[in-house]
Amino acid sequence: MQLSLSNIEKSFGEKKVLKQISFSAESGEAFGLLGRNGAGKTTSIRILMNVFPADAGEVLVDSKPIDYSKTKIGYLPEERGLYPKKIIFEQLVYLALLKGMGKKDAEKSVEYWLERLDMSEYKNKKLDTLSKGNQQKIQLITALAHDPDIIILDEPFSGLDPVNAMLLKDVVKEQIAKGKIVLFSSHQMNYIEEFCDRIAILNDGQVAVSGRLSDIKRSYPRNRLTVKSQKNSEIAKAFENAVFTDDGALLIRMHDEAEKSDVMKRLVSEWDVDAVEVFEPTLSDIFVQYAGDAPVEG
Amino acid sequence: MKQFARIFNFEIKHFLKNKIFIGITLAAMLIVALLLFSPRIGALISEEHAETENGEHEELVTEKIGTLLLKSEAQLSEETLQTLFETAFPEYYVVLSDDETAVIKEKIKNEDADCAFVLHTATDFTYYVNDLLMFDMNSSVASEVLQEFVRLDFLVQNGVSPEDAQSALNVTITSTTETLGKSQEEIFFYTYIMIMALYMVIMLYGQMVATNVATEKSSRAMELLITSANPVSLLFGKVLASCLAGLIQLGAIFGTAYVAFNLTRADWENDLMINSIFDMPPALLGYMLLFFLLGFLIYAFLYGAIGSTASKLEDINTSVLPITFLFIAGFMVVMFGIINGDMNNTLMQVCSFIPFTSPMAMFARICMTKVAVHEIIISVGILAATTAAIGVLAAKIYRVGVLLYGNQPSLGAIFKAIRKS
Repeated sequence: MQLSLSNIEKSFGEKKVLKQISFSAESGEAFGLLGRNGAGKTTSIRILMNVFPADAGEVLVDSKPIDYSKTKIGYLPEERGLYPKKIIFEQLVYLALLKGMGKKDAEKSVEYWLERLDMSEYKNKKLDTLSKGNQQKIQLITALAHDPDIIILDEPFSGLDPVNAMLLKDVVKEQIAKGKIVLFSSHQMNYIEEFCDRIAILNDGQVAVSGRLSDIKRSYPRNRLTVKSQKNSEIAKAFENAVFTDDGALLIRMHDEAEKSDVMKRLVSEWDVDAVEVFEPTLSDIFVQYAGDAPVEG
Repeated sequence: MKQFARIFNFEIKHFLKNKIFIGITLAAMLIVALLLFSPRIGALISEEHAETENGEHEELVTEKIGTLLLKSEAQLSEETLQTLFETAFPEYYVVLSDDETAVIKEKIKNEDADCAFVLHTATDFTYYVNDLLMFDMNSSVASEVLQEFVRLDFLVQNGVSPEDAQSALNVTITSTTETLGKSQEEIFFYTYIMIMALYMVIMLYGQMVATNVATEKSSRAMELLITSANPVSLLFGKVLASCLAGLIQLGAIFGTAYVAFNLTRADWENDLMINSIFDMPPALLGYMLLFFLLGFLIYAFLYGAIGSTASKLEDINTSVLPITFLFIAGFMVVMFGIINGDMNNTLMQVCSFIPFTSPMAMFARICMTKVAVHEIIISVGILAATTAAIGVLAAKIYRVGVLLYGNQPSLGAIFKAIRKS
């Protein structure tokens, strides 16, 4: 299955929030939707979920307009919230029913997910008796219980301790392996980098960059080398454009990419080098470059 | 439709499982039952009381609540006066007094006596009492007693025997009134009760719908709901479930009253008010149900729409004020109409066609006066059409409102957002 947003436009009043947004994601992979606050991520997600229509453009599944009665979507919103005073099991089943499940299937699925996320003991408790992290796990069930084809996770890791973050990672990997489209929106770049094959960075309502993360990284000039050595200080003196990175490695910039092999040979022959590799930007570097000048909104 | 049914089901369960809802309903049922059983309970207590004191049944005697001093400054038959006063004031010990007025006043101030009548002549007296209560009828009762005394005295002075004079003064007149239209005296009470019930339920449940929507929004459960279900189903499910909850509550309370009345019918034989309520024509119940449904829905949709525009629960009270004022204004017009008995004045007639006031105004007019069938049809038609239109509009406001956070948007901004969406 391929999910595409094609030339989506949306305005609220005079303000144009989305300008010709296009990106696509495939089954069995995670897609990272990135952007600073107010860049248009939530609006894109809401249009994708049919909360409101786009002014122009289309949401397509396998090149046809999406049929919401056939394509199931699960959503974990950034603003968490359920019924604080209602029994957890009852509200989870209710939300699964709203998504079109039968009562028995809904109950069975909620039971499964409560068990899977180590939350069975809280089944008959009210939501507000749980810690924030546990409430978030409960909320995650609302996005997964109805076995959706597309799973949208907005800041899924915020508020989770390392153990729960690991549990969530396993769940996400499972879903990707099952052939689901997982759409991530997060500011925690390490998670996006870990999971997402493709990304789109939105900046002021436009797609600043999109595509396979590996391709985006490779599109950067390969004229820098990262060197790890006990003799970094000596090496730095020998090269004109050498700077230290935050983790103590040395970054050598060459005038031309073609010098790469010669420089590598020289490094290995003249000094005791632990590692040398072509420098690739991190997702944070890419994000700062493409989203850095976006206006910040509340 | 399936989604609507599921939302409706969830919302109605929320009411039926709610301890406060159950508690209030049961308490109201208990109070109604106790009120209707009160004569029987009172009689039981009195019987037990009489049995423990005298060991046998006795005719109930009005309990004495105090002492009434009677002093005559003129040459009047004190014994006759005492007898007449004792009959007229069964709740007092009537004590003849020779004290000076100042002493009598002192006794009342010291609470040795509750009140006193000093008769200057047979037609002129002063009533002394410590605190004059709003509904103190003693003075007018005494005037009637003295009028009877003077008339009796006059007849006896003119040669009529005291017995003849007594029977001449106590002639009983029997009369029958045949009402060809509607007797407002009889229908006043049930109209009053029905309008009050309509008012209370719409107010209570309307506010509840608004609070409910605002709670879902402020707890951000709305983010999930709005992406899981159609907003029309969400609002209609919520509103119709609270409407059914209101009907269940009213049904339980009125049902209890009906059963309790039938069990205690004999005790209320002479009570015009209670009898008139339960002798209400069944057709009026049908009208009550119709106007309740339409009136409830029109206001609940508005309350729900307003609730969706509030980001915080605290905003609700001020946001719903315009609707509440509109509703209270309609209620006041109808109430004044009912109390004055003037159901066909221009204001009432106009109000019975305005959809926001017609549920109460037209219903009150149907209850208390004769309304042409075509007027009822037009009124219900306008009300039903407006309710449907308000329902559609409310769903549109709801769809936009639930996604607006931050400061409460103006009406203009909401309509702009609706047009845009």
